[in-house]
Amino acid sequence: MLIRTHKKHLPAAVAAIGALAVLAGCSGTPSSTNSSTPPPGTSSGGNLVIGVTSDVDTLFPWKATQFNTVNVMQVLYGTLTEYDQDLNVVPGIAETWDVSDDRLSLTFHLRSGVKFADGSDCDSADVKSSLDKIRDEATAAVARSQLSSIESVEAPDAATIVLALTSPDAGLLSSLASINTAILSSDDTEEVLNETPNGTGPFQLKERKPSQSLTLARNDNYWGDKAKLDTVEFRIIPDETSIVTAMQSGNVQMSVFDDPLVAQSAATSANATIQEQTQLAYHVLQLNATKGDLTDINVRLAIQCAIDRQQVLDSAALGEGQVTGPVTSPAFRSDPAARPCPERDLDKAAEYLGKAGKADGLTLKVMVSSGEYATSVNEAQSIQAQLAEAKITVELEVLESGAYVDRWLAADFDAAVALNGGRPDPDQAYSRYFTSTGNLNAVAGYSSPELDDLFAKGKSSDNDAERKQIYNQISNILEDNAVWVWLFTSFTYTATTSNVQGYIPMANDSMQYLRTTSIN
Amino acid sequence: MLTRIVHSSITRRLVTALGTLFGVAVLVFIMLRAIPGDQVTAQFGIESGALTPAQRAALESYYGLDQPLLVQFFSWLGNLFTGNLGFSARAHLSVAELTAQSLPVTVELAVITIVLSLVLGVPLGMLSASKPNSARDGLGQVVALAGLSIPAFLLGSSVMAWVATFWGQNPNGQAFARLTDNPMLNLQQMILPAGVLAFGIAAPIMRTTRTAVLDIRAKDFIRTARAKGVPKARIQMRHILTNALVPITTMTGLQFGYLLGGAIVIEQIFSLPGIGRQVLVGIEQKEYAVVQSTILIIAVCFVLVNLLTDMLYRVIDPRVRAL
Amino acid sequence: MTVTPPGPPMPSRPVPASGAVPSRPMPSQPVSAPGPVPPPTSDTPKAPAKPRRRAGTNGLRQILRSRAGAAGLVIVALIGLLCLASACGWLPFEPNTQDPLVRLQGPSQTHWFGTDRFGRDVFARVAAGVVNSSLIALVAVAFSALVGTLAGVAAGFFRGATDASVSGVTNVLFAFPPLLLALALASVFTRNWFTVAVAIAVVYTPIFIRVTRGPVLSLREIEFVRAARAAGRNAFAIMFHHILPNLTSIVIVQVTLSLSWAVLTEASLSFLGLGTPPPAPSLGSMIYEARTLAAIAPWTMIAPGVVMVLLVVGLNLLGDGVRDALDPQERTRR
Repeated sequence: MLIRTHKKHLPAAVAAIGALAVLAGCSGTPSSTNSSTPPPGTSSGGNLVIGVTSDVDTLFPWKATQFNTVNVMQVLYGTLTEYDQDLNVVPGIAETWDVSDDRLSLTFHLRSGVKFADGSDCDSADVKSSLDKIRDEATAAVARSQLSSIESVEAPDAATIVLALTSPDAGLLSSLASINTAILSSDDTEEVLNETPNGTGPFQLKERKPSQSLTLARNDNYWGDKAKLDTVEFRIIPDETSIVTAMQSGNVQMSVFDDPLVAQSAATSANATIQEQTQLAYHVLQLNATKGDLTDINVRLAIQCAIDRQQVLDSAALGEGQVTGPVTSPAFRSDPAARPCPERDLDKAAEYLGKAGKADGLTLKVMVSSGEYATSVNEAQSIQAQLAEAKITVELEVLESGAYVDRWLAADFDAAVALNGGRPDPDQAYSRYFTSTGNLNAVAGYSSPELDDLFAKGKSSDNDAERKQIYNQISNILEDNAVWVWLFTSFTYTATTSNVQGYIPMANDSMQYLRTTSIN
Repeated sequence: MLTRIVHSSITRRLVTALGTLFGVAVLVFIMLRAIPGDQVTAQFGIESGALTPAQRAALESYYGLDQPLLVQFFSWLGNLFTGNLGFSARAHLSVAELTAQSLPVTVELAVITIVLSLVLGVPLGMLSASKPNSARDGLGQVVALAGLSIPAFLLGSSVMAWVATFWGQNPNGQAFARLTDNPMLNLQQMILPAGVLAFGIAAPIMRTTRTAVLDIRAKDFIRTARAKGVPKARIQMRHILTNALVPITTMTGLQFGYLLGGAIVIEQIFSLPGIGRQVLVGIEQKEYAVVQSTILIIAVCFVLVNLLTDMLYRVIDPRVRAL
Repeated sequence: MTVTPPGPPMPSRPVPASGAVPSRPMPSQPVSAPGPVPPPTSDTPKAPAKPRRRAGTNGLRQILRSRAGAAGLVIVALIGLLCLASACGWLPFEPNTQDPLVRLQGPSQTHWFGTDRFGRDVFARVAAGVVNSSLIALVAVAFSALVGTLAGVAAGFFRGATDASVSGVTNVLFAFPPLLLALALASVFTRNWFTVAVAIAVVYTPIFIRVTRGPVLSLREIEFVRAARAAGRNAFAIMFHHILPNLTSIVIVQVTLSLSWAVLTEASLSFLGLGTPPPAPSLGSMIYEARTLAAIAPWTMIAPGVVMVLLVVGLNLLGDGVRDALDPQERTRR
């Protein structure tokens, strides 16, 4: 990306399907060290300063996609359902819900006493207006496509919302937990909210100094346990190493890094506690199977065989992460070894190239964005060096993020190094890419009737075991055809100084547990 | 007669300046459109792939991107004349308000930097010139060479890490304090970045001073003064320094002008919310109006500083004044 | 109109911009004062008063006579040798060859400057980085010198509309914050070392226009040029035979100065993530990539940092030497 500030897009909206396996329970992962549940009875208050590299780009939750913006929205606004720390769907503004037998109607019973930050009540009229506006194209809300199964929204009384669906949708409850479907007061407009956010979350906006800081204060109207902190300040320090020095001098007490080296220097020089959190997002070499040599499955398989995922991980992220297959959510996790070349195999790569009639090698253009996330260019360099040994010459195209996104969306690339958002539910993660009607299918460059079929089955099924089996099949098809080369998942590192307690990082990067955090 | 000449020269300058600013406006406008991506993709990233055409159209009209380019250009330009510099959707502030916050920061940084570099550069230059090719000249030259050769980002990052490690303090890690709110903290936050910049800027000032002093010392009127027995200190201050002021002023003015748009890297490292960062964030978010107006403001400052420098000669230099 | 204004003393050496602000080198006259007549502060019209001696065969000896020049020449020569060794593949390691087994090792007998996170030899990368950084600087400066001088000569010689348009463009480029200009240019195109060089060149071209245009204004008025014009000689012939040769020393001095700035500008662009794209190393991008490694593998940052400062010091000293050699007045003063 242009310039050294991490304007990181949350790799795909934070929507996720809950009711799934416990993330931390994913055995053997060196994941979260979040044994520290908030100590009971502490209400010490205090002011927490979080160092962030960029300012929020909007205060309107329906259009928030950038990492830092989503984090702020997350604590200002509330949603019908929510995630717990293991990404299970739990009640939010809706206290309970019923599903009809045909699974075409969903009835929410709203919690009583939910108020917006300005003191007004949040009732079914606000929920209905919010959901209707999100689904209206003129609003340009990013979550619209996730709510496409909703046919109509009715509010029979002030505490009840009934959704009529066009077809059963296993993912809807989880979509409604995304901050992009935040419930807004029916009186508010985007213009007003950009000035004065008015949500049902545990915090409210206190002060904003653009490009300098954004300060939140506890919202005493919050329906749940009140936040412990008096204020949270997101202080904008564009340079990550400067955040480390600010932690070192005690001016900043918390920050989230995606570069293990920066986290390491925060740990050593600033004596910070580091919590590692496995991410759902996955690092991948996207191949565009509609372009040139890559239309040949053998070429793609040769590329798969020539890349040692562990080596990419070791070079780019110092080994901090895990090699992965397509599906990253713990409940549906693909077996990383289930692919034609589980380990790097140059002989096989040569064999595949021979089959493709490219025994003398070929040239591949790989695009990569600079600066959007810490490891991108390093991954590309490792891949380039490894493919060179298999007679595949990689021409790297290092692009500023605007150019990268433009070309990515237009599918104007042979191959792309990417960090794509994983979601707890594999349907939401991949149907947009690999079904022929998916809105990112052109970018993915691959679809087949067989895949369409499997995705359709997976979405309508409500049997976990059956779904797991379906997504395994999908995963195998993707790997056997070397549609993309999945590389690894990495961590984020939450660094906190020793006086900060009760913060729990989440796999979807959400900072919602700021509400249980305290400082002394 | 005299006033007419002055008039016509000032008018000519103003016309040229306006032409220059118009050129800057055109250049920045074209350049921004040439950079791939627009405000929609900048805001939504790859999620903009999930937008329907109608959603995309709604956003484009929201950001005014659906207008033809010429209309965009002239409506921006027209708005400038009514004092409307545009609006930043990101900061939810007008560009005028944003600039009112960021420009003083950069100007303050530039002023402190210039003062520090004059304090460092002028005496050092005079010291060097006092005995060319001596050890002290060598010292001055080496300092100047170091200033010219060590890049600010290297010096800046190292200085900050060093101060945080050994002093256990990092004023720049605290929330930015405005000069008017908390002058003490503000000065603490300014001193390191200004020092780093001044180290670099003192070098050309030192060299200018040295050369100018050597030049003037070789002039006849100084020899005459010496022969007449005017005290050495008086010659140094009254004759040499006053005459050397013109080139020093030129150099200072130019450096000041460049500092206004050239301190970005330092603003970035030391988290100063200056005007350079305003441009940077604007480019990143593709907020066209913000970048266009801000660059134009920097250009206006630059032109103004140069005009001022020119006028200053007239005050300093008797010969120019006589013209 | 003959232009030899009774200018106040100006530094007879064009003083460079600081290394701290990788801005553009200083023009020798204020920017707000364009127009056909160089303002009284310009020192440049001095130049053509007597046609300059060209940098002849004894140029090298002249440079060596000044201590600065000699030191600069030695440093630059040593670094040049390193470049040669790298370019000819005489070094034990290739700059881009990764060896996962020796990641992040400190300096040793095998890896003189240690290895980076890919197990690449830092020494080899620094050497290759110097090649790339110098290449970018050279191409950028050559480009801007060529275009700038031609435009400056044309403006000064033809005056009128040519001058007005060239000066107009120059003023605009001057008033545009230089780093932002380079930054914007660098992000428009697919990035490679050449586009980076062009971006830097665009920033530096106005300098060359400025330093050549002034002298040309006076040169075209001196006797033998007038005579040639009166004899009806072709304008281009006059420019090439009578005017350009007299600008040689001005341009050479400006070129040597610009080289070191170009190296620093490339480094600054790299620091903002817009320099030479990987895997090709450049000194600036090596420092940028090493920033997060500085705590656990300081050699990855120190090596390119030191070499870069050395290179810039060498170029600056050499520039001083060249200037001394080409400017007799300056030489006697030392």
